[in-house]
Amino acid sequence: MAFFVGLVVFVVIIGVLDTRLPWPDPRSGRR
Amino acid sequence: MIAGHFGLAAGVKSRQPEVPLWALMLATVWLDVVFAPLLVAGIETIETPGSYGAAVIHADYTHSLVGAALIAALFGLVAARPWGRRAGMVLGAVVFSHWLLDLVVHRGDMPILPGNAGGLPKLGFGLWRVPAAAIAVELVLVITGAVLYWREAAQVSHDAGDRRAGRAHRLGAAVLIAGLATLALDALGI
Repeated sequence: MAFFVGLVVFVVIIGVLDTRLPWPDPRSGRR
Repeated sequence: MIAGHFGLAAGVKSRQPEVPLWALMLATVWLDVVFAPLLVAGIETIETPGSYGAAVIHADYTHSLVGAALIAALFGLVAARPWGRRAGMVLGAVVFSHWLLDLVVHRGDMPILPGNAGGLPKLGFGLWRVPAAAIAVELVLVITGAVLYWREAAQVSHDAGDRRAGRAHRLGAAVLIAGLATLALDALGI
């Protein structure tokens, strides 16, 4: 169960919320 | 090992900020994601599942040295299409990092060739035999990765304007708490 909890929390919830931060673009490197 | 893999991915994000976090998190456990349907199908199996570090895992395809390398390469190639070659290489490396971390804890159950072809010696340093030590290693990975991610997220948000700084701190804290919670669930055999 720990695996599936971790998968959902890290990939789906935190991973998606993280996309709202101003990280550089993967291709251009620009923010 | 579960939480330790996520900790490593968080740490990689701080050094490769252009690679999406969700993709790094997926990459770091991708071997286990592929393992899951094979487990259900009975192709790969677990002996004595349930308690932390007690399992002997017969993942002779997904967790073989060559199998893991092939899965990592395929993941990297697919990821390179939308995000470019560099991101693909990073994500492929993160997929393979799963095998390297598992090598430390597994009990000599990781074959070299898929399907344990040739009957070559299986690998694994067996840190799971000392659960407290394995948990300590995972704890270090979780805390280090979360702190590195938290610091970098706060920095890029600060550089972009204070309005987003609070969001970065909340996400940094979430990575740390989620990592600790996942480790606790795993350690308790839940």
